[in-house]
Amino acid sequence: MALLQVIELGKSYNTETRVLKGVNFDVKAGEFVSIIGPSGAGKSTLLRCINRMVSISEGSILFDNQEVSRLKKKDLRKLRTDIGMVFQHYNLVPRLTVIENVLHGRFGYKSTLQGVLGRFNEDEKARAFYLLHKLGIEEHAYKRCDQLSGGQQQRVGIARALIQDPKLVLCDEPIASLDPNSSKIIMDHLKSITSELGITCLVNLHQVEVAHQYSDRIIGLNEGEVVFDGPNHQLTDDKINRIYGTQTRELITV
Amino acid sequence: METLSKPTYMKRNRDGSILIKARSKQQLVMRATIGSLIILSLIGFLLFDYTGLDLASAITETAYNLKVMFVEPALNHFSLGEAFYQVGITLGLAVLSTVIGAVIALFLSLMAATNLSNAWVSKTVRIVVAFIRAVPTVLWVLIFAIAAGLGSEAAVLGMLFHSIAYLVKAFSEAFEEIDKGIIEALQSTGSNWWHIVTHGVLPSTFTYLLSWTFLRFEINFSVAVAMGAAAGAGGIGFELFMASGFYFDLSEVGFITYAILLIAIILEVLSTQLKNRYFPASVRSES
Repeated sequence: MALLQVIELGKSYNTETRVLKGVNFDVKAGEFVSIIGPSGAGKSTLLRCINRMVSISEGSILFDNQEVSRLKKKDLRKLRTDIGMVFQHYNLVPRLTVIENVLHGRFGYKSTLQGVLGRFNEDEKARAFYLLHKLGIEEHAYKRCDQLSGGQQQRVGIARALIQDPKLVLCDEPIASLDPNSSKIIMDHLKSITSELGITCLVNLHQVEVAHQYSDRIIGLNEGEVVFDGPNHQLTDDKINRIYGTQTRELITV
Repeated sequence: METLSKPTYMKRNRDGSILIKARSKQQLVMRATIGSLIILSLIGFLLFDYTGLDLASAITETAYNLKVMFVEPALNHFSLGEAFYQVGITLGLAVLSTVIGAVIALFLSLMAATNLSNAWVSKTVRIVVAFIRAVPTVLWVLIFAIAAGLGSEAAVLGMLFHSIAYLVKAFSEAFEEIDKGIIEALQSTGSNWWHIVTHGVLPSTFTYLLSWTFLRFEINFSVAVAMGAAAGAGGIGFELFMASGFYFDLSEVGFITYAILLIAIILEVLSTQLKNRYFPASVRSES
């Protein structure tokens, strides 16, 4: 049974340009799927449609057999609780400590008052430390986030997504602002989310090589349309050219 | 030869030197405005009524008055203890209007910030607040004096009103400066609006809110001095008004001025100290 079904999804921000056109794909539970494509292909928009950070113009998305586009306020919060998100610019609150930022992932389970007062139970705090330990940044737990390096901040971002107990983690270009070394650490951690915790991962990527190496499946997006969808070994140079519309060897691929 | 065939983007002044500023309409209007203001001021000076003005004695007498004020400050009509008490009243007026104003402004500014509120609410709050700000504080005090009578109540109400309007603008702009990724990230975890405000927006903007509040406190202190005289709110302002307008006691005016100056300096030092010590903008890194 597919965890996520995207059916004829279309999105337009204004009347002239359609960012996404008739996008169809399924994601099964426990899959690691990469979405690749040139800048402006609609990768970020696609990801944000799934947890309704942007509204859906046409078509439908089924997550866990729920119609995403019709969810009302409370159910939408519930949906977002089930979907973790990791961002290119980490999007942490820079003046708060690492542990506080990780616990922000629990707000979906809290009432207004509990959240405002910052009431977290011991289990949640212990789990936050466990995740930080797994990600190898336990010793920075009480540091302010603006003191950490990019790679460390991204790991805090991952911890924040994982403490939600999500069924799906969306990653919007998680390694686009990182050096190759930190990129590898982050990708390894994301891979282990799927392999160890069984959480499905949907990752936007710029680097074809990285997608090739880590994914179970790759979806190629060009100008809002799916032009490739298949296991990573089927992604030949010819197909890459179709996704990017150029000779990839001319591109710098690190 | 190649250089000749290329189109030239370089502009030159009339004397042949290379121009580095784009001559825009805006610049022209600015120059015309400043030029005409200078000419009008010069004409104004020529048209003044100078009869009865003896420049030499005017300057020496002013200098004498200033000397009495600032070199021989003294208290003649009330004691030092009473002076401190009066300064305390003025400070009290400023504290009351700033603290209450900041609390109310905090909630209103959340409604006024475009990234935290819907367009309709934020526009309404902004327009109301702009209207309140456009009317000077003294006028608000006098308007409230109709209901509350001249005195400290009207002064605090009027100052409060203007403080709220000022702080709502400052606070909401601070909120709008916040990285929208922070809000997005919290939204994506399933946080509701109150969670985002208390754990994302406020921690990121707290130092700005604090420094704006302190700035407003300093403004309110000087306004409270003026209100003491203008609205009979009491405090050191009223004594200043009495000393200058009724007793013509220049040394007392001098003393009071020094007292106000001292308080202003203390407030300034206190606010910077407080901000640097407890709410640093960024932690000094080890490297």
